[in-house]
Amino acid sequence: MDEDIVDFALKYAEDKKVEYAEARGQSQIQDRLMLRNGILEAYTSAVDSGFCVRILANGGIGFASTNKWTKEEAKEIVDLAFRYAKASGRKDKIKFEKEKGVETKWVVDQKKKIENVSPEEKISAFEEINKTLTSCGVKIAATMGSCNIDLISKYFVNSEGSKITSFVPKLGAFFYITVAEEGKTEQAYEQFGYSGGWEAFGQWGVAEKLVHNAKILKDVITKGKAVKAGNMDLVCGPEVTGIAAHESCGHPMEADRIVGREMSQAGRSFIYKGGPYWIGTKIGSKHATIVDDPTIEHSYGYYAYDDEGVKARRRFLYKDGVINEFLHNRESAAKLGTKSNASSRTVNYDREAIVRMANTFVLPGDMTEEELIEEVKHGVFMKSFTEWNIDDKRFNQRYVGREAYLIENGELKHPVARPIIETTTPKFWTAVDAVSKKVEFDAATCGKGDPGQGIPVFTGGPCIRLREVYVK
Amino acid sequence: MSDALNRTEEIVRKAKSLGADEVIAQTTFGRYRQVRFSNNEIDTTVAWNDYATDIALAWKKRVVATKIHNFEGVDATVKRLMELAKVSKENPMFGGFAKGKFKYASPKADKKLIEIDDPQGYVFEAVEAARKEIGNDIDSGGILFTKFEDVYLASSEGPIGTDSRSAIELSIRAFAEREASGHSVECSSTLKGFKPARAGTKAGEIARMAKNPKIGEEGVYDVIFDPLIYGSSLGVYGWMVSAFAVLIHMSVFVDKLGKKVAPEIVTLRDNPAEYSMSNRVFDDEGYPAKENMFIDHGVLKGYLHNTSTAKMFKTETTGNAGLVAPSAWNLEMDAGDMNKDELFEETKRGLYLTNTWYTRFQNYAKGDFSTIPRDGIFLVEKGKITQSLKDLRISDNALAMLGNVAAISKERQHVHWWGEADPPSLSPYVLVKNVHITKSR
Repeated sequence: MDEDIVDFALKYAEDKKVEYAEARGQSQIQDRLMLRNGILEAYTSAVDSGFCVRILANGGIGFASTNKWTKEEAKEIVDLAFRYAKASGRKDKIKFEKEKGVETKWVVDQKKKIENVSPEEKISAFEEINKTLTSCGVKIAATMGSCNIDLISKYFVNSEGSKITSFVPKLGAFFYITVAEEGKTEQAYEQFGYSGGWEAFGQWGVAEKLVHNAKILKDVITKGKAVKAGNMDLVCGPEVTGIAAHESCGHPMEADRIVGREMSQAGRSFIYKGGPYWIGTKIGSKHATIVDDPTIEHSYGYYAYDDEGVKARRRFLYKDGVINEFLHNRESAAKLGTKSNASSRTVNYDREAIVRMANTFVLPGDMTEEELIEEVKHGVFMKSFTEWNIDDKRFNQRYVGREAYLIENGELKHPVARPIIETTTPKFWTAVDAVSKKVEFDAATCGKGDPGQGIPVFTGGPCIRLREVYVK
Repeated sequence: MSDALNRTEEIVRKAKSLGADEVIAQTTFGRYRQVRFSNNEIDTTVAWNDYATDIALAWKKRVVATKIHNFEGVDATVKRLMELAKVSKENPMFGGFAKGKFKYASPKADKKLIEIDDPQGYVFEAVEAARKEIGNDIDSGGILFTKFEDVYLASSEGPIGTDSRSAIELSIRAFAEREASGHSVECSSTLKGFKPARAGTKAGEIARMAKNPKIGEEGVYDVIFDPLIYGSSLGVYGWMVSAFAVLIHMSVFVDKLGKKVAPEIVTLRDNPAEYSMSNRVFDDEGYPAKENMFIDHGVLKGYLHNTSTAKMFKTETTGNAGLVAPSAWNLEMDAGDMNKDELFEETKRGLYLTNTWYTRFQNYAKGDFSTIPRDGIFLVEKGKITQSLKDLRISDNALAMLGNVAAISKERQHVHWWGEADPPSLSPYVLVKNVHITKSR
């Protein structure tokens, strides 16, 4: 990465009549392993490197990027971005909320540097996982595994005087398994993610989790029974709590959706000015406190400064069941008359930073998981999920259980095959009457943006108990 | 012979000289432009200039790949790649890259799409067309996207060629009320015949009809799918017919070759034709990209292959490589013999759905999934739209829905939209019987 060219691009942009300009260089050392049924299909290793400029001029935004590191190219993309910004012809001029310039450098430490891990060691780690999985006594029909390593260096400068350099290693792995027993199949995926070094691989317990999944899928096939549909209590494990927090709290609280910026793709939000839900409106029970926090060290969604140079902090989205604080970038903050809370993220040099979550989770309560279950007369414990989705206003959602058990008189009984909760956001969060102590996180890749920007996040939370919801 | 092709070939020669068994290098000079708009105004205009060469090589069946930008650091990169191959693991199923000298069709890319004048103008044309349908209460958003790629491919196995690929897409979602929207797209490989107003008008019409929606009822319905939403279904079937998806059991078509998977009226193809946004003359191995019929009158005829998966299935590549996974370029459903209005007349009580999003599977092998219709959901009674609905979900099975196709329209539209209707397709109106619809409780 040539920081001089990034500086040059900013200077060249500032010499024009701009209201705001930023330039960002980004270099990512990328390793990708893809294994099918334990066989390494291909090992890809590359350096992806380029830079971009974003200009606010005449109330419009222009963005341009390139991976040709020359000053001539820098001039070309600045000229393009400036011309585009000026040509927007907006009546409602876009403004960016102003921040003080920051000069800083931040890095994420690695205990075992990924750069020092040989390709053989990486391949071997995945092969061992597959061996363990395929010898666990469950008939595995197919597996697919992938490993994504990104060593991300960024250099950000803007017209407010910010100059921020950063280095974040991101380690991710994804597995998809198919279990076939008694002529039937069940499938599960598992994702792992970490900001830091190779030490994560040992901490994840990948093989154990996949073997657990395989056994669960076998149990669902051989012992699982459908639940008799009706109103009952539902205890959600951390994985289910986390996806619900992400989908029906994190997403609707993204201010760019709220102001309409994502209306044609990811959609809008059930929260909007003049509507039934806004800051201060009740959305759930007092047990529903959901935060988004980029500052959790080594989390998959970790960052110290966002991609607009704003210092990261924890955001309380729903607080004690009340809509509390949206996720903002500079543009949405200016539009709604507030300050950015550092929610602007991008996946690479060739993508505009947009409002994103980082690590979204429900804060813990004071009960144990066992206590939550003990107080259930009739219900389902949905520990993990398979299919899920939510509408684009983030109101109607559905989670289908993968590992789930019937609860009768406070005790776990047989596995339940694919129980479903299909309900609305306020019904879901209002039904929560108890929350356990222990928070667990899962890695995920959040999708948004056009072109798509799959961004690393954690979802998570403790176990939560929903009273009298319809489960089928 | 262009300088870029010479330099691409030089990479192949370099890798061969270092001992690689097989090498492919593919250079793409891409210029991508996008105008994003919302609330009827331009939010941002974006340009990406991309100068990249993808290099893949095999050494003793060890397959490795990398990417360089702007031909920088070729020697060091190729050397590193060879070193990586030597410590990598053998893929016994690697069947080599496509072999032979091929003649390719002449690319028909539209050079006007290198840099169009006044891209914002196309957006306003669509917005104004939608406004004519909705009135001044309109709220609309979307994108205009253009692509122009010069592609240079060289392979140690014989293929060598150049391609130019162009595309333009306008996508507009128009709101007539907070919960009454319509979405439409205009997609093409060239500017000729590209009419943004057509998308604006359709989005506006749907939005206007979608006013005052009621929450729909659960049940089993006959459903008329608009080309845009059926493009999403075609994308699902296109993925599932990839041999890679079959190998990892993310497909309902495992062990279904030669079997009936749909009624006789259903014929599906992959065809990277001239009109398509994803037009191309060769695949990533340099094998000629071509039309492949994979469902012929309801019978599954084959999967989509690269050279390696083809060898595993004892057949020929279909020109759909992907280094690892073959993929569909542009899906086509053959036209039926009814027109759109006749499809509606066939429907005594059903739904007309226009768009969807968030399609997720419980089990790809079985095909159980759900997806959430948006942008115009209508109750159809005795062939007429009688009520706008909202808050419904399709909760069904992909194979069952293919088997329940009852009628296909003559009219077809080239569609592509964001993450859902992807890859692009030539999609008709389709009537599917007995679709399971659920809602929140």
